[in-house]
Formats: sequence, C-alpha cells, structure tokens
Amino acid sequence: MSVRDEQQLRYQVTLVELVDRVLNKGVVVAGDITLSVADVDLVYVGLRVLLSSVATLEEQRERTLAAAGARS
Amino acid sequence: MIHLYALVRGLEELPPLTGIEGAALERRQIGGLDLVVSQTGPELPPVTDEAVLAHASVVEELMARSRAILPARFGRAFANEEELTAAVQTKAPALEHGLSRVRGCVEFGLRVLGHESPRQGSTSLSGVEYMRTRLDEEAERDRLSQELHRPLALLARADARFGGASDDLLHAAYLVPDERTAAFRDRIAGLERLHPELTMVCTGPWPPYSFADSREDA
Amino acid sequence: MSARHEPVDKILASGGDLGRIASELDHVASAFPRRVNADPEQVERGLAQLVLTLVELLRQLMERQALRRMEQGTLTDDEVERMGETFMKLERRMQELKDHFDFEDKDLNLNLGPLGNLL
Repeated sequence: MSVRDEQQLRYQVTLVELVDRVLNKGVVVAGDITLSVADVDLVYVGLRVLLSSVATLEEQRERTLAAAGARS
Repeated sequence: MIHLYALVRGLEELPPLTGIEGAALERRQIGGLDLVVSQTGPELPPVTDEAVLAHASVVEELMARSRAILPARFGRAFANEEELTAAVQTKAPALEHGLSRVRGCVEFGLRVLGHESPRQGSTSLSGVEYMRTRLDEEAERDRLSQELHRPLALLARADARFGGASDDLLHAAYLVPDERTAAFRDRIAGLERLHPELTMVCTGPWPPYSFADSREDA
Repeated sequence: MSARHEPVDKILASGGDLGRIASELDHVASAFPRRVNADPEQVERGLAQLVLTLVELLRQLMERQALRRMEQGTLTDDEVERMGETFMKLERRMQELKDHFDFEDKDLNLNLGPLGNLL
C-alpha cells in the first residue's frame, strides 16, 4: 500500500471514530433512509425515532417515579 | 438556536475559531458552570460534514485550553437562553461531578474487529451441535474480549463498553489520566503484539465525549 | 475562518485490516440522512435493507436468549435440537436474502450505542 493510500486510510478511520463520538452514531442506524421521488423527500424512515421513544419513555418513567417519591 | 459545544473549567480565553455556520463562539455562566456556545439559525443546524467537523474542532481547541471539559454531542441546541439555563441548572451538581471526573484525563477509543467467520456448511450439523458450537464461539469471544479489555480498564479512571448487534470483539472507550497515557499506549502495543491476527484500532487522545455522562447531558 | 476543519490524525496504534473500519465511512455518511430516489429497485432495496436489518437484529436476539436458556439448563435436549435446526434454517434463509439483495453483513449492522446492551 502506498504512503498516500495509507494516509487516506488513516484519515478515513479517524473520521469514522470522530463522527462516532460527535454524533453518537449509536443512534443513527442503517434503517435511516429518506424515500423520495424526483428529489422531493416524501417519507422519512427512521429507527432513530424508535430509539428516541425508548429514551423518552425512560425519562418519563423516571419523572413519574421521582414525582411519586416526592409525594410519599 | 443556541448550540452547545461543551462545559469547561479553567478556560482562560476562547480559541480563535468560529463555530458552526461560521458563528462566533460565546460563553455563558450558569449555576457556577462555564459553557461555550454559539448561535445558529432558528432551526437545528443541518448535519453536514462541515458542521460536524466545526463542532469537533471547537471542542478540541477548548480541551487544549481548559483544565476539564465535558463535550456536548453535535446538535445539542436550545431554543433560547431560558431553556439553556433551565437545562443546566437542574443538572448542575451532576455536571460539576462530571467535570471533576474528567479533569486531567483524555479519552482513548479501542475497536477490535472479530474474525470474519464464515459459517461452515451448517447443514452437516445437528441442531444440538449447532447450538453447542454457538455457545463455544460466544464463550471464546467473551474470553478474548475480557483479555483485551481488563488490562486497559485497570489503567483508566473509567471505561465504557459499547455493545450492540455489531460484530466487534470489543468496542470501548477509556478515560485515562494524563500521567498514565504512556503506560496505556504501551499496554495497547503489548496487546497488539499478542494478537497479530486481530484488527485492532486504538484512537485518541479525544475529548471525553463518552464520559460526558449521557444520561445527564445538558 | 471558512476553511473546512480537517480532523487531526488520531490513530494511536493499529494492526490488521483498517479497510474494514474505513469502509464504514459509507455508513457514517448515512449519519447524514441517505436519500433513496425514485428508481423502484432502489426503493425496494432501501426497504429491504431496513427490514433485513431488523430481522437480523431479532434473529441474534433470539439466538442469544436461546443460548442463555441452554446455559441455565432450562431447555430439554429435544428443545435444543429443534431450536438449533430452526436457527440454522434462519441463518441460511438470511444468507439467501442477503445474496439476493447483494447485502454484506456490514450493510445490516445495527449499532445500538447506549442501548447496545439489549443484546
């Protein structure tokens, strides 16, 4: 592998790791697609939505528990 | 919107950089905590390469100039000052604790890829044999994963393992105090020598994105 | 300062085939939402990718659960045998579907991040 190829590879890997951190890629999943016709975005299919909902549910649960705790 | 880059401690001056969409960096003091933000348009900034890289650069520069930093992920934005203030104030104690935890540390990331194991023509196996094979494979992966992870975790103040459906043998982040980074590098090198058959990538030093306490992120 | 902020090389140490990680850059580019345009084949492929990713996730989840039960000893030999056969069939079927749509394992890779402990 040439020095340039090697550098390119290192750059790409750094980018993968960087984006993984900055975007918390964990919540961006393969099912994240936008279906469009003639370049008009029509449908957004996002598993991300599912993951957010789980987080929201957990948050809600915690808030409910906290409120219940405060009352007792 | 007000875009958050990080909470910092001991930052003297803002770095000579602009942030996302070329906006100027600004500071906020809320509940005794020091924040670095910039103002973007009325919508969440689009997730483009430039924006992501701009965010990353700002955080890097802030880390270089601070004693402690809790990076925010990209897209942590607030509609107005009140929202930002409220969010920070409710979590102030946790954020203070978080800053103390990461002070004097950097993050290293490690990814170890699994062997690409082609399943042998499993039609030749019985159901029980298949399950036993899977059990053995799993046990071996766990063992190897631990063998790699443990010596590194011992050098870190904190560690985070990322699971998931991904095939990675190990995917982890380590919060390593400055004075142990040399030992950490040595240990990584040692592990690599022990396992030339594995694809292992260690990256860093990063700002402690993985230890900014995602539960409590401002 | 409008120059693109290029990331500094962060690789501390590496061994093996870095290309496997670098190739995730397509996926990372999908962190910026991916567009599947009107071409019916593309749309179908996009949907297939989504569906197969989920199926793969469930398959792994189920298999892992079965292995846990096996370890705990709460399955009869007969149950283990039947499960093993089912999982083998499932795996074969998945491979056929992957081949049909020309997907590699990495295309169906679901990184759950903080929720990763589901598996």
